[in-house]
Amino acid sequence: MTERTLVIVKPDGVERGLVGEVLRRIESKGYRLVAVDLLTPNPATLKRHYAEHEGKPFFEPLVEFMSSSEVFAMVVEGDRVIEGFRSLAGATDPTVAAPGTIRGDFGRQWDAPVMRNLVHGSDSEVSATREIAIWFPNL
Amino acid sequence: MIERTLLLIKPDAIERRLIGEVIRRAEVKGYDVVALEMVRPGRGILERHYAQHRGKVFFQPLIDFLLSGPMIACVLQGDRVIEGMRSIAGAGDPTTAAPGSIRGDLARDWDTPVYHTLVHSSETPLAAHGEIELWFPNLPPMRVQRTFNSPMPPPPPNLG
Repeated sequence: MTERTLVIVKPDGVERGLVGEVLRRIESKGYRLVAVDLLTPNPATLKRHYAEHEGKPFFEPLVEFMSSSEVFAMVVEGDRVIEGFRSLAGATDPTVAAPGTIRGDFGRQWDAPVMRNLVHGSDSEVSATREIAIWFPNL
Repeated sequence: MIERTLLLIKPDAIERRLIGEVIRRAEVKGYDVVALEMVRPGRGILERHYAQHRGKVFFQPLIDFLLSGPMIACVLQGDRVIEGMRSIAGAGDPTTAAPGSIRGDLARDWDTPVYHTLVHSSETPLAAHGEIELWFPNLPPMRVQRTFNSPMPPPPPNLG
């Protein structure tokens, strides 16, 4: 069934010039872009996006990191794209994410307060709907 | 000297899912993406963009081609980026554009009224200035280059 997901190339990915590489993998897998935006997100948007983590010790550093620089947000469409992009992204911890995944090939540990794992992809249909409404309210 | 250029990723590249490949090549070359939009331009903006070709036989077919689907418009920044992006885009005839260039590697003739060349990249500083103003009228002025001290991304793996 055709669905949509929200993908974000985080500040570490944009800074390292990996936007094209991430997009290329999404397109090669056969998915289609329906909306894109290059922006420096404001903390309020990020607090809504990460609402489920509010109160956890990494919440503030995460919001600070994500608002530190530009991110590349996009809505991607295709059958089972939510699951498919999570598969392309790889495991959360970039040091040990499988080779062949975005995080496995390009990510590693840096001495930073939050893990820099290059990309975000919605984890369920409910999250995708909620996140797309936050980042692309006019879609 | 740091400059900016306008890159259009045309409907043929969107259709063929080559957006990422084109942007990847610009980033690996060392340029920064400073603005990017997915657009569905009207005839007016396209006719202004290609004003120098008005009256030529390929003018209307070219506009019609660019109206056929969404495009990506982006501004790239870096030293000699205008010349550099023209170089990696390759020659205007995709069939014989040099291997290693975007057009040479990824484009060819498809028996269409105008060549499907995947990208447009500003030709001169004057053209770049006008085209960026046309497509991104609200873009803030140039700022310090982002990637100067950033680690270079590793080469892309062979995905077979």
